[in-house]
Amino acid sequence: MEFAYVNARIRGMRSRLLDRSLLEQLINKPDLDSLIAELEKTAYRQELEKAGVLFSGITRIEVAIRKDLVRTFRTILNFIKGEDAEKLLTIILNRWDIQNIKTILRGKKIQAIPSEILECTIPAGQLDEAALTELVKQPDVKTVIDLLATWGIAYARPLILNFKEYTETRDMQVLEYALDTFYYENALSVLKKDESEDARILKRMIITEIDVNNIKTVLRVIRDRIDREEAERYFIKGSTEFDTKKLLSLMKTGTIEGALKELEYTPYQFLTKIPQEYIAVEKISAFEKEMERYLVKKAVSQFLGNPLSIAIPIAYIWAKYTEVTNIRVIARCKIAEMSEKELREALIYV
Amino acid sequence: MVDFGIPIGAGIAFGLGALGTGIAQSKIGAAGAGTIAEKPETFGLMIILVAIPETLVILGFVVAAMIMIMLV
Repeated sequence: MEFAYVNARIRGMRSRLLDRSLLEQLINKPDLDSLIAELEKTAYRQELEKAGVLFSGITRIEVAIRKDLVRTFRTILNFIKGEDAEKLLTIILNRWDIQNIKTILRGKKIQAIPSEILECTIPAGQLDEAALTELVKQPDVKTVIDLLATWGIAYARPLILNFKEYTETRDMQVLEYALDTFYYENALSVLKKDESEDARILKRMIITEIDVNNIKTVLRVIRDRIDREEAERYFIKGSTEFDTKKLLSLMKTGTIEGALKELEYTPYQFLTKIPQEYIAVEKISAFEKEMERYLVKKAVSQFLGNPLSIAIPIAYIWAKYTEVTNIRVIARCKIAEMSEKELREALIYV
Repeated sequence: MVDFGIPIGAGIAFGLGALGTGIAQSKIGAAGAGTIAEKPETFGLMIILVAIPETLVILGFVVAAMIMIMLV
């Protein structure tokens, strides 16, 4: 596919992303109103004005940035409609389907209010706003899965296959891992058939995501002292560097320190630099945040890749998502009156 | 006897230059259109950037003319 036009537009869109100095200004705002006033000077103005008619405060920000994100992703998808790359871009955007289904299932499990669940979803994938609204209206986990099956959505299959185990254990991770595994295996099987450079670029990114997920799983398994057989089934297959054998050898060390030692001389060496106090108390969230940062940085560094390939859309999608997450974090921290230090720790700079 | 080598050489010099210009301008033109769609203020700059590969075909033309004029 010819990416010259698409990538030039995406680079133009990139120039409207909030830079570090603007993020600093947002951080320094004393309250939510001044934060909204500052955001109205940016590309979010249009959506903030629309959302301002019906909502106020944090909901206004949440609705506006969510709509802006979805509109941006749909714009990119429209640029390449009908081209070979559409299939590849759909793989990336389908991540949000998985995320949305997980959010709805979690929400249904704790019996959250449908509108609250809907607020946490991002209709950027195959499931649009109308479909998500219908899903959140369902009374429980079972009916959500049934509705997905009725619509013929492929994600219903892993959920149905694992639902029996979920009802026995009431452990949401069973369904979440089933969804993740299905998504990654499906993505890799599509990419395996495609030998283009674009497919190779996307495959590298997907494999990095798999590695990050698997290493997170290993660390959690070590902390929770889960036995080998049970842990092994939670590993997502597809990576060459961190295959099941390597992951099991990480697990065998039995301690977080041991696993980190094994990760030396790998791209995940940065985990060894996490402060000792977090390692001592086995604070997995600190490791997860660092790995999230690594993933975002790796994806956004694709802007330096082949300028006439899918590398640019991949980088932009991640950069935009990170920006939206950062705005959400800033807004939430303003409401919770968290310290600036805590706020900065939660942000990811790209 | 007519020596066909000279006009063929001139033709190759001009033709390959034109082909190179075409390929370069197609890519720059597409990227330029994308840039202008997002940032209309870059229109003037894009016109200049699209025109830059013209130097290839001009050089090709000059070389072809030199072959024809100087060697005939």
